[in-house]
Amino acid sequence: MGKAKKVFVFDDNADILDLCTIILEDAGYEIKTSSTSNHIIDQVTAYTPDIIFMDNWLPDVGGIDATRELKQHETLKNIPVIYFSANNDVESLAKQAGADDYLSKPFDIHELEQIILRHLSK
Amino acid sequence: MEGCKAFIIGGSAGSLDVLLKVLPVLDAALRFPIVIVIHRKHGTDSLLPDLLSTRTKLKVKEVDEKEELKAGFIYIAPSDYHLLIEQDGTFSLDYSEKVNYSRPAIDVTFQTAAEVYRDKLVCLLLSGSNSDGVNGLKSVKEWGGLAAIQDPATAQVAYMPAQAQLKVAIDRVLKIQQIGEFINLLSNS
Repeated sequence: MGKAKKVFVFDDNADILDLCTIILEDAGYEIKTSSTSNHIIDQVTAYTPDIIFMDNWLPDVGGIDATRELKQHETLKNIPVIYFSANNDVESLAKQAGADDYLSKPFDIHELEQIILRHLSK
Repeated sequence: MEGCKAFIIGGSAGSLDVLLKVLPVLDAALRFPIVIVIHRKHGTDSLLPDLLSTRTKLKVKEVDEKEELKAGFIYIAPSDYHLLIEQDGTFSLDYSEKVNYSRPAIDVTFQTAAEVYRDKLVCLLLSGSNSDGVNGLKSVKEWGGLAAIQDPATAQVAYMPAQAQLKVAIDRVLKIQQIGEFINLLSNS
């Protein structure tokens, strides 16, 4: 058995964080969640995830700015960032900020697992 | 109770863990539908029914407008709508004002179901941090149905079932591990 891949989910919706935690742990991932993108570099550096999910509406620093900050960071820029939002107007903004992919809310378990597999197998 | 026609579960904070423990215990051939109304924020549609369906042999689905209730299904109230049960045994979804700061409100589903199923209804209130569902359980009793709560001592957030216990003559107080068996026994009686 290899070491479990680590997923970091940023969302201010506690229900999403609860559900993602159970679903991804079921699927064999290690997961950490956060409801704020404040000090994003410190948070991500401390956990060193294999993939990041970033919500659009986050208090303090919004998801777009947090994504840009990660993608401009020397050592963290290669971690895939999946942007997710219920507002599809932000997809192009997220990609401009450096997001590697986009997941439209609401999404189902299959979509969540597939997008992780796609990016972790690259 | 003989001939139970619907089993409705209401819950809020701390209720998801209970559902994940109860669903695997349920018989695949339940003779009545289960309806689940839990407070959750918009954006979790699909995920919650998907997750619950991984824990049960019963069919799990989010409710569609005007859908008919059928035995063998577990129905999940969509986020952001009140879930009503109509006299013809169908669901309706309602976007009117929040009740108890909640939409869906557990009270709304319990109360409308109480009038439809009367003494063939069981409603169960789980863990939660407000008093939604308490008035609903009162209605269930008034129409002859059976009111049950999760034992507050086993609830992550005891307030909701504890309020029900204070204000309603509760018929059954169930520990988490008793809930699934209670539902199965109802189906066999």
